Amino acid sequence: MRTITTGDAVAARIAGRKLHWRELAFEGALLLALLVSLLFLVTLLADILITAMPVLTERAADFVSGELSPDPARAGVGTSILGSLIITIAVAVLAFPAGIGTAIYLEEYASDSWLTRFIRTNIRNLAGVPSIVFGILGFAIFVRLVSAVGLGGSVNGRNILAAGLTLAALVLPIVIITASEALLAVPDSIREAGFGVGATRWEVIRHHVLPSASPGILTGTVLTLSRAFGETAPLLLVGAVTGFFTLGEGSTVMDRLTSAYTALPVTVFSWSRQPSEEFRALAAAAIVTLLVVLLTANAAAIILRNRYERKW
Amino acid sequence: MNGSGEDMLPETDTLTGAEPATRPVVRSRVERPAPDPAAPVMFEVDDLNVFYEDFHAVKGFTGGIKEHEITAFIGPSGCGKSTMLRCFNRMNDLIQGARVTGRLLYHGTDLYAPEVDPVEVRRRVGMVFQKPNPFPKSIFDNVAFGPKINGYKGSMPDLVEGSLRRAALWDEVKDKLDESAYALSGGQQQRLCIARAIATNPDVVLMDEPCSALDPIATLRIEHLMQELKQDYTIIIVTHNMQQAARVSDRTAFFNVSLNEKGQRTGHLVEFNDTAKLFTNPDERATEDYITGRFG
Amino acid sequence: MITNRGNPDDLRAEFDAVLDELRLGMVEIGSLIVENLRRAGEAMRHGRLDLIAEVRDGDMEIDRRYLALERRTFETLARQQPVARDLRFLIAATRILYEQERSGDLVVNCVNALEREEGFPEIPGLQAIFSRAIDTAAGLFAMSVEALAEPYKEAGTRLDQADDELDDLIGRVYTEIGADAAAIGLETAITMSRVARYLERIGDHAVNIAENVTYVLTSEFPDTNRVVFSDEP
Repeated sequence: MRTITTGDAVAARIAGRKLHWRELAFEGALLLALLVSLLFLVTLLADILITAMPVLTERAADFVSGELSPDPARAGVGTSILGSLIITIAVAVLAFPAGIGTAIYLEEYASDSWLTRFIRTNIRNLAGVPSIVFGILGFAIFVRLVSAVGLGGSVNGRNILAAGLTLAALVLPIVIITASEALLAVPDSIREAGFGVGATRWEVIRHHVLPSASPGILTGTVLTLSRAFGETAPLLLVGAVTGFFTLGEGSTVMDRLTSAYTALPVTVFSWSRQPSEEFRALAAAAIVTLLVVLLTANAAAIILRNRYERKW
Repeated sequence: MNGSGEDMLPETDTLTGAEPATRPVVRSRVERPAPDPAAPVMFEVDDLNVFYEDFHAVKGFTGGIKEHEITAFIGPSGCGKSTMLRCFNRMNDLIQGARVTGRLLYHGTDLYAPEVDPVEVRRRVGMVFQKPNPFPKSIFDNVAFGPKINGYKGSMPDLVEGSLRRAALWDEVKDKLDESAYALSGGQQQRLCIARAIATNPDVVLMDEPCSALDPIATLRIEHLMQELKQDYTIIIVTHNMQQAARVSDRTAFFNVSLNEKGQRTGHLVEFNDTAKLFTNPDERATEDYITGRFG
Repeated sequence: MITNRGNPDDLRAEFDAVLDELRLGMVEIGSLIVENLRRAGEAMRHGRLDLIAEVRDGDMEIDRRYLALERRTFETLARQQPVARDLRFLIAATRILYEQERSGDLVVNCVNALEREEGFPEIPGLQAIFSRAIDTAAGLFAMSVEALAEPYKEAGTRLDQADDELDDLIGRVYTEIGADAAAIGLETAITMSRVARYLERIGDHAVNIAENVTYVLTSEFPDTNRVVFSDEP
């Protein structure tokens, strides 16, 4: 195809806007996909909000702080929120040091051998295992372990400690993977520069690699905790109470940790199975509470990360 | 030349320094002093080879690097000059499977002896890399990091200022030491990296193609800086720019690349000579072919 | 003189072409000088004063080419950053061009002298030896042109030896002039001596040219204080 080069002919060819139909069609299709996704979300949220409206407008504050009760007019999610929070803290304490430490070792210290490749593959596989499997693991091992060391309380180990261990095991592979990604994203030139001035490997990691990778690790942390907060299936198997329960008066912190417990998603599960209409509204209200907590947590993390991370 | 006359260049017997007694010798004032053959040796290298697993990357480098001189490594890509450079501060240790045979003596000590601490070696043998790589920190912290982790107890602001002055960067950054290093231009960042390298008070500075990412003026600045630096340090520079090696170095080592039985590119030393000689009348035909651009 | 011509992978083919052009340009200038010298010799031998203008024109052409080649050499030095043998060649080219230009001027000096004398005296002995000197000088200069056309390492020493023969001849010319001084007159004798001197200088320039050829090929000037015999043609 010869390119036309005489003045007027070129002007005629390049001037004048042409409509590129395929471009427009493609862009249109993408926009449509976006709208469909939004439609799903919006519909879902609208439905939930409408269902929850009666409870929220009437007694929102009581609902959030109240205790579980068979009476729908008095039931609240306070205990559940507390249970979820404790579990999340337990997960953070158990999973993050181990996970981040593993990632640092794998990325910074381990040599590339068949063993490390094997380990990495296994970690990736574990991250994809359905969460209910971890529930079975939790029941089979952690519940028994907790009661074996004498912390089983009145429920033979089906307490928050076991739940924390179970969910920690669940999120551990994810923590390792996201931390590894964040470490890999730090350019090697920084490490080389560090070694070049006579720093040891740990000094290079501590002063340059970790600070650079922190934003990424933090984001991974928040996402993981959000996930842990919302997990339901494993908790059901590890003994979260779905019905009504209450701890007696004068229960200590130790009692709380070693006795019956429940979590917010579990409460949603149990209330939505109740036949009566009022419990349906309660379930919706609990969902709204769950979403609010998650959104707040994410927002707080992003704000924290932006403040902490200095843009060089 | 026809006719008698005074010799422009002195003819001395370089082994003993004696001059033929008869002819009058006039030294021209524009003569550049030749590298001093009696200068003390910083590194003594004897048949140094580098392997990656079974792959013989660079063969047999032998020679001496003299103190307060600039030594250049030149050669086509794949000839192993950067690999060889990294032997001098044990940076090759960081690459899995890298190993070294032969002897590399630094002030008389074998650099690869088992009791030698590579971290301490790297404090004394600094390095500047091809692409400027300042830490994502302030200018001050960039320079201060090395001395800090090596236990420097004196006044850090003075040390930082001294290093930045010696790297010809102080005037440009003295009012913004707390600003990000990334706010500097490429040439300034590279000078910052030089300041960082000399902050730990090394006696050798290794430079791996320090100017390839810089524009010509920034390049000339750094070449000028090298001439000043060599009074205090010994410099080894790897460069693929032959004219740069010709301009700045006192001695030059030419590495060439060849294909081994498996068709892989390996490097070997061809000639290691005074720069003036290597670029006007090299000993090896291969060297002359390379520097005049005729490889066939 | 030392290019990689003919090699299909020659990365500096354009540069090599320029170097060859410079060399052949010098060969041409040298040939013109030899031609002009023979012309001047014809004029001096047979009193052909009509050839004087041709000699002068010839030298103007030589000067024109000299300027063009010298400029070309400088440009090449500036643009190509030559090293080693390329650098030696270009430096030698500037010297050789200078030697050639001076030689061309010396030929003109000869015919200028001839013009002032309106022809040289026709004394057979003197004429014969003078003639031989002119031919020898021309032959020596032609050897320098051959050394440029097909360079060889021993050029310097070979021409240095051949120059001895010319110097000898010139010595005998002086003697002959001395012997005939009374017959030809003092002024003419002086003028002819100067012409003899010009011829000797032409020979010296030819030797310098050849020594530069040796320098390019070996990076050294032949030590002319030693006598070295070479069997190479």
